Amino acid sequence: MQKHEFFVDMTCEGCSNAVTRVLHRLGGVQFDIDLPNKKVYIDSEHNVDTLLETLKKTGKSASYLGEKSAQ
Amino acid sequence: ARSIVISVEGMTCHSCVQAIEQHVGKRNGVHNIKVSLEDKNAVIIYDSKLQTPATLQEAIYDMGFDATSAG
Ligand SMILES: [Cu+2]
Ligand SMILES: [Cu+2]
Repeated sequence: MQKHEFFVDMTCEGCSNAVTRVLHRLGGVQFDIDLPNKKVYIDSEHNVDTLLETLKKTGKSASYLGEKSAQ
Repeated sequence: ARSIVISVEGMTCHSCVQAIEQHVGKRNGVHNIKVSLEDKNAVIIYDSKLQTPATLQEAIYDMGFDATSAG
C-alpha cells in the first residue's frame, strides 16, 4: 500500500493537534504524524492537491514529498 | 471598526500564535489581531463590512483550533 508523504512545519503538539483536526474534518483519511521529523503520512481517497490544501489550512508551511510504501 | 474577542483552544506554543496572527491578519478587513497564548484568545479589530464574528471564528476553526466568540 502506498502512502503520501508530506512535510509540515510542526514544532510542537499544538501543531500536530491542529494537523489532526483539519484532517479529521476533511474526512476519508488515515494518517500518521511524525512530529520530530515534521512528516505526515496519509492514506486517502483524496488527491494530493486536496490533501496539501488541507494541511496548509493550519497556516504552517507544507509540501508534498512523494509516495512511500508502508512498512 | 469593531473589535471582538474569540476564545481559542488548542494553542500550545508561540508558533501556534504566529500562525493564527499571520493567517487571520491577512484577511480582507482585518485591521489588527493580537493572539494570547496565556489568555487563550484572539482580540481582533475588523471592518464589519468585510468580516463578521462568524467569518473570523470560522477562519480560526479552519486552521485546526477550537474557536468560540464571546460575543
Ligand atoms: Cu506547535
Ligand atoms: Cu504551537
